[in-house]
Amino acid sequence: MSTPASALELQTIVLARDFRPDDLVFQVGANLTSARAACMLASLTTHPDARLLLGIEIENFSNGRPVPSVPTFLFRALGHELGEANMHQSTVFDTMSRPDVFFVGGIEVDRVGNVNLTGIPNEECGWKVRGPGPVALATMSTFCNGYYILMGRHDRRTFVERVSHITALGDRQRRTELGLPGGGPRLLLSPLGVFDFDDAGSMRLRSLHEGVTGEQVADSTGFDVVVPDSVPTTSPPTASELAMLRSVVDREGLLGEPAAPPRPVTITEEQR
Amino acid sequence: MTEIFATRTRVVRELSGALGAIADGSVIGLGGTLTAGRPMALLRELLRQRPRDLTLVSPVASIDVDLAVATGCVARVVTSYVGAESVAGVGPIFRAAVERGDVEVVDRDEAHCILGLRAAAQGLPFLPWLGGVGTDLPVTQPELVEFADPITGRILLAIPAIALDLALIHAEVADDYGNVQFAGTGHTDMQLASAATRVIVQCDRIVPNDTIRRNPAATYFWRNTTVVRAPWGTHPFASGAIDIDEAALRDFVTRARALLKGDSDEMERYVQDTIYKVSTHEQYLETVGVTRISELLT
Repeated sequence: MSTPASALELQTIVLARDFRPDDLVFQVGANLTSARAACMLASLTTHPDARLLLGIEIENFSNGRPVPSVPTFLFRALGHELGEANMHQSTVFDTMSRPDVFFVGGIEVDRVGNVNLTGIPNEECGWKVRGPGPVALATMSTFCNGYYILMGRHDRRTFVERVSHITALGDRQRRTELGLPGGGPRLLLSPLGVFDFDDAGSMRLRSLHEGVTGEQVADSTGFDVVVPDSVPTTSPPTASELAMLRSVVDREGLLGEPAAPPRPVTITEEQR
Repeated sequence: MTEIFATRTRVVRELSGALGAIADGSVIGLGGTLTAGRPMALLRELLRQRPRDLTLVSPVASIDVDLAVATGCVARVVTSYVGAESVAGVGPIFRAAVERGDVEVVDRDEAHCILGLRAAAQGLPFLPWLGGVGTDLPVTQPELVEFADPITGRILLAIPAIALDLALIHAEVADDYGNVQFAGTGHTDMQLASAATRVIVQCDRIVPNDTIRRNPAATYFWRNTTVVRAPWGTHPFASGAIDIDEAALRDFVTRARALLKGDSDEMERYVQDTIYKVSTHEQYLETVGVTRISELLT
């Protein structure tokens, strides 16, 4: 029996399982290791025709092609000599064959899936909290067929009624009004579970990670998440999925130490 | 016989003095993307001049911006990102300076940066774009203006031109006359250079014009270009010749975090040792050491 999946390994497997058969071009941005790994896994197994934009490298790992371990840095030496083509930033946004699938990290997310990666503005046109910046979120979330929101934390400061700054517009109603072409957010993955968006565009609990309760999600979320009558547990990675991930895709173990499943928070009388 | 033929002007200069005088408030483009292709030899030369109130423009920047901010010369940064991925999610010195209000950020999506540079190169006041419509970028960045497209009436975003006084870029190869060839895509260096009044290219190798001619399809050139030889000049970042020095990036971030906790000694020493106390790129490489450079060579 192998060690249990780490949080990032679980995230990788959930992503790879959700990709759609007609997803042909995947683009992964900065500092999203699990997204990198999920795309590599899909290319090896379910999506042999896909092209992966990993930094400058455009990759395809079909037909048993040897796979480099998930890289730490997207933009590295000789990146242009790896892969089967180069990603040209000067033209990547100009083409109708732009990526189908994109991944979005955030410092805040709200009820309708708007994501903030820019920061929390202050009253003086500056920043109370400065985030990484918009990177390519505004553009890619507008055009791509679907994107995944990857949240590193799940608490009331990050899951808020309305984000302080919309970097990626998830709000389905606003997207329709503005005639934005892309499909908007598909799933949101947090340390507590997997979420999607209902027909009205509101965030809905899709599955709870092992050991997490619905109350814990409610307590950690600054708005009311739509909760269906029956919420399954996120099905854990199978032994073969984990073996493939660890032995082929993430040989250097970048996806981290296996984490103990998060437990419901209980506050004792003494801690009060 | 030969004296009747005119002589082509060489544009190669020594690093020292190559930048000329940098006026306060200059708008300076920095090439590369994230942890690759950053023109560090030129940036260090720029910082040695102790310029003031600079606007730095870099579509996807790294902690080279932190270094510049640490020396106190930066008023404004036009970018979509400042950081080093898992080594530093956000450049720590940049972040602190922005939160204090000492440095202004001009937030542009990565595509907005490219469009802004392209607009400047094309002599246009702006270019239209859809990405960013409906976001809060036009709220915190009022120069990004939503407008109704005169043809279909739909809402678009006007991305203002980003004109540069000077573009600093790294290329693997150049010749005496400013013909430049990148190993790889050249990131958005072509857009930066095309939007600039003046271009300075640092290169790993200066090659004969006949070498450039073996692959003319790969050549770029711009008016008013200066070439400086700076082998491995992207250190601690990657180029076609050298890998990322992850340990050096982590060391810099450690010093940066100490600085933010009030201990400025380590950062001060770093800035002194790598910028102010050296006057040539070779002296900088000596601070890195032959062994380390050798380990990083591809």
